[in-house]
Amino acid sequence: MNRVLSWRAVVVGLLVALLPALPFMSKFYLLLAFDALLFGAIAMSLDLLIGYTGLVSFGHAAFFGLGAYSTAILLERGVLSLWACLVAAVLVVGLYALVVSYFATARRGIYFALLTLIFAEVVYTFFRYTQTFGGSDGIQGVPAPRLMPAFAIDTPLRNYYVVLAYLALAYLVCRVLVASHFGKVLVAIRENEDRARFLGYNVQRYKMAVCLISALLTGIGGALYPGRSAFATPDLMLWTVSGEFIIMVMIGGLGTLAGPVIGGAFFVLLQEKVSSYVDWYFMVIGLVLIVIVLFMPRGLLGIRAMLGFKQWRATA
Amino acid sequence: MARDGVVLEVDAVSRSFGALAALTEVSLTVREGEVFSVIGPNGAGKSTLFNVVTGIHAPTAGRVRFGGREISGLAPEAINRLGIAKTFQITNIFPEISVFENVRVAAQSRARESGRLPSLWRLPDVGDAVTDLLTAFGLTDKRDELAENLSHGEQRYLEICLALATEPTLLLLDEPTAGMTPGETKAATALIRQIASARGLTLLLIEHDMSVVMGISDRIAVLHFGEKIAEGRPEEIRSDPRVIEAYLGPAEE
Repeated sequence: MNRVLSWRAVVVGLLVALLPALPFMSKFYLLLAFDALLFGAIAMSLDLLIGYTGLVSFGHAAFFGLGAYSTAILLERGVLSLWACLVAAVLVVGLYALVVSYFATARRGIYFALLTLIFAEVVYTFFRYTQTFGGSDGIQGVPAPRLMPAFAIDTPLRNYYVVLAYLALAYLVCRVLVASHFGKVLVAIRENEDRARFLGYNVQRYKMAVCLISALLTGIGGALYPGRSAFATPDLMLWTVSGEFIIMVMIGGLGTLAGPVIGGAFFVLLQEKVSSYVDWYFMVIGLVLIVIVLFMPRGLLGIRAMLGFKQWRATA
Repeated sequence: MARDGVVLEVDAVSRSFGALAALTEVSLTVREGEVFSVIGPNGAGKSTLFNVVTGIHAPTAGRVRFGGREISGLAPEAINRLGIAKTFQITNIFPEISVFENVRVAAQSRARESGRLPSLWRLPDVGDAVTDLLTAFGLTDKRDELAENLSHGEQRYLEICLALATEPTLLLLDEPTAGMTPGETKAATALIRQIASARGLTLLLIEHDMSVVMGISDRIAVLHFGEKIAEGRPEEIRSDPRVIEAYLGPAEE
């Protein structure tokens, strides 16, 4: 068996688990930390596509938003079990992802990005411009989901540990996946899709499978969101959100899994810090991104190599 | 039905692109264990023939049978899984992963897990097969190099390793010595011949370099403007007037 977890990942995980014990961790900071971990995990899921397979999805906000709506709709109707919400999200997002990935992987190159974007815009438009699920207001003020019948996830602390558990599981899944037979084929597809076909691999099937896995991980993340925010709105599915997910992956470092987790957390914290001072915070974030792309093409995780800690090894 | 020893049967295959007839009723029979070469001037249809056999193009007319089974029109990955592997005229490898990982991803396509659910979490151990191939082609020292950093000749060998790692019974080589020096070409030709016989492989070869073809082939077919103008043993081909004419032009002046 190949070693899946490094001791470093375990230590970092434990430290993050102890974070709420810090004296200044108010409810506000706990919720901020929730967002950092949630979007870190989603960026990591997207990295399976962008970093490992070489497919840029411009529609991940739809997977996220559909997960959030699945939970919000159930909570609003009094189905409070978190597990029921997760199952619903997996079914809804999975079905949608099957359709999108079937069409998006049928064509090569730029068409994948375009088709994921177009499908996501259709979903956004449906939720935004029909009144079926609250129109532009979305679904507001839903009750907290319950882990067990007598245990509601109704405090920032509980939400924090739920999202941490999700991140840890998603990280494990991704680590096992990229080290597997399947993961090696994904990298081969990224490197040279035609050659992979002549080695006997049905490339479209592999692309569909990784799309589905990435979408499900993202959708599960979305399903946890209403527990923290008590709402699901169409804005969660805006194409700019998909763009932010891509930026998180880029900031963190393509094809590294851990990098995009850091990238997602970094993005959330930077946005929070900068936007509390200036309205044009996106300009600042844009500048930071440009600097990173120009001077640190391997992203934040690449800093280790730049500082000489450890020789960088290419993803393989 | 598979007739005795017949591996590949190209049966009156035509392929046209619009008004251009790239192949016109070409028939070939490749028998088990032989080295069969297809030669011809540029634009003779050699690559189109390969592309039809490996599934890039479906034939416009005619059939291709492999081991008695019709394969015309199947997808490249399906044809590969039946046991036909191909190397490319222009080196076609996985540039930014190591030499070992290149061959591993090829070899694991024949593992039991391939295409099944457990492949999501298991990594089949194909290290021995990979090491054998790298040793045979003298690439052992380069196993941890990124493939893009290999020399041209080494990349040509890696190209063949990738194809062989899928454990084919029929190997199609599209100008395997393209871009090699005469010395490298000689060594490569000998090596290919030796590995093919050690593995009991049947070879179908496209080649420009006449010295390669004459030295390695059991039989040769000559294509000219999409039609087969000759087929026979190397010495027959060498003295065939139609072949000489196709290569050197008509002898009227």
